[in-house]
Amino acid sequence: MSNKKTRYFVAISGAILAIGLGTGLVASYMGLPVSVFSSAAGPEELQYVPAEAAVVAYANVRDVMNSQFRQRFKSLEPSQSDKNEFEEKTGLNLETDVDSVVAAIMPKDGMANNPAGSFLILARARYQASRLEALAVEHGAQVTEYNGKRIITHREGNAAADANHDDMAFGFIEADLVSFGSLTTVKASIDAHSSNRNIVSNNEMMKLVNEIDNANAWAVGKFDAIASKAGLPTEIAAALPAITWFSAAGHINGGVSGTFKAEAKDEATAKNLRDIMGGFLAMAKMQAGNKPGMQQLADSLVISGEGNTVALAFSIPSELLDMIEGLAKSRQPGQIQQ
Amino acid sequence: MNGDAPSLPAFRRMSFFDASRRVFDLSLGEMLWSRRTIFMALVVGGPVLLALIVKAVETFGMTPLRVDGQRVPGFGIFGVMIWWLFLRFIIPVLGVFYGTALMADEVEDKTLTYLFTRPIPRGAVLVGKFLAYLACTFLVVLPSVMIVYFLLVPLSGLASTFPSLLIDLGLIALGLAVYGGVFAFVGSFFKRPLVIGLIFAFGWEQVVMLLPGSTKQLTIAYYLQALVPHAMPSDGVTSILQGLFKENPPAYLCLFWLFAYLGGFLYLATRVVEKKEYILEQ
Repeated sequence: MSNKKTRYFVAISGAILAIGLGTGLVASYMGLPVSVFSSAAGPEELQYVPAEAAVVAYANVRDVMNSQFRQRFKSLEPSQSDKNEFEEKTGLNLETDVDSVVAAIMPKDGMANNPAGSFLILARARYQASRLEALAVEHGAQVTEYNGKRIITHREGNAAADANHDDMAFGFIEADLVSFGSLTTVKASIDAHSSNRNIVSNNEMMKLVNEIDNANAWAVGKFDAIASKAGLPTEIAAALPAITWFSAAGHINGGVSGTFKAEAKDEATAKNLRDIMGGFLAMAKMQAGNKPGMQQLADSLVISGEGNTVALAFSIPSELLDMIEGLAKSRQPGQIQQ
Repeated sequence: MNGDAPSLPAFRRMSFFDASRRVFDLSLGEMLWSRRTIFMALVVGGPVLLALIVKAVETFGMTPLRVDGQRVPGFGIFGVMIWWLFLRFIIPVLGVFYGTALMADEVEDKTLTYLFTRPIPRGAVLVGKFLAYLACTFLVVLPSVMIVYFLLVPLSGLASTFPSLLIDLGLIALGLAVYGGVFAFVGSFFKRPLVIGLIFAFGWEQVVMLLPGSTKQLTIAYYLQALVPHAMPSDGVTSILQGLFKENPPAYLCLFWLFAYLGGFLYLATRVVEKKEYILEQ
């Protein structure tokens, strides 16, 4: 090559290409430990969700509890006595002590008969472990250790007779994080974190999580994996649209807005879904008539998508919330009907 | 004395391959450090700058692009950039500016004589310069695409989007080669190659792509755009018309025609260079 300057230029350009291609190849074939380089999309609790989870949902409880939407309807809530009783026993105030909740479904055979055995709930909260543990032991639960984490297991009396039965368990996995589910799923969540083989390494799922924007509650999942294990009647299963992936995200503050996205098996199915949804939307707009809140809600519905995807966005206007609030208040006991 | 005239010392005529390699070696440095490369750096620096802005906006927790109220993910923005900036603008523009200049610059600078008086096949001059053009543009454009990709696509999305990036890189490389080949012929054959090149790339190709019928098969964009792994972005009337009359010929057919264009025009360009009498204006 002609001179040093040119050689340097070629070397730098070649290095950029080689590093880029190398990183991409490693990510494609071996999976990239994303957390090493940057924070992964979604909450940290996802590192406790096993990689085989078919549905993952998240709710920022703190955000929702503090939202104007919740404050608006707070006065309509029933008496506080039940809540107080729970707080006295557990020391946990669900309104102020819980920050966020992650839920996951790990589909497995026999899920229809024992749905609880496939669920995992991770709650980030300020809790008193010793108090909860004492309460559980008082009610006949057993405390064990698994990989250095304390697990409280509740064994039902007739469990031995049922082959599908899973004991329910409660694991203290971090100072402010608890997992709840079957003993199998709680142990799987601890393993998922320690082995680094968790949902964060599931690229298809993380792609959907990554696309979620500005939502304080969301769910993503592999629809066909759930449908095949849910034990649905054949007629219903056959009538379900051929959806592979879905994601739903909502933002709750003054109002409620959200999007629902689905990926169909092929373009024809997606087009049919869009057409059906378009039909329903047209009907909803007709029905909304001249009711201002409903009309605005109908107008806020937007169907989009191309190729295999279908998306529906919505926004509940404050007029509609005013209407609901007014209706609810008028039906409260002791309220004078006009 | 045996009566025969004393023979002149014979010049060793280089093979076509060796000659092309020597011209490539000579031209690459010249091309890389020419004013034209500054122009190219500015052109490909645009997408990098845009990607940096998008990244900065995302870092501050804002959404850089929304369509119908929905956030467009990083890879979607990358796809839009591949369509709008690289395929529709950067590749044709670099093809025109570099391709037409391969021979025209030598004519204009009156340095063609120095090359043609060397004991090398004339066609090798063009082929060597064409290879230098390829190296020069690949070395600037492809790293720029790579940087844009890594700025826009989060690491968690690498595995699912990397195959598309490979297709994009291949497509851009093929596009630069085909446009370069076509405009190398234009540059060696016509007297005002830049004007003709610009009319072809931004007149003929753009108009024909919006029309129904089979005329669009006489463009490079038709075959190139059919291979793009990203959905065509909607940007007004042009895209609507283009989407309306868009056909998707099979990939093998597109590749066949693109390579046919490249081979055919490069062959024609070398034939022209070998046969044509270039008159250097005084």
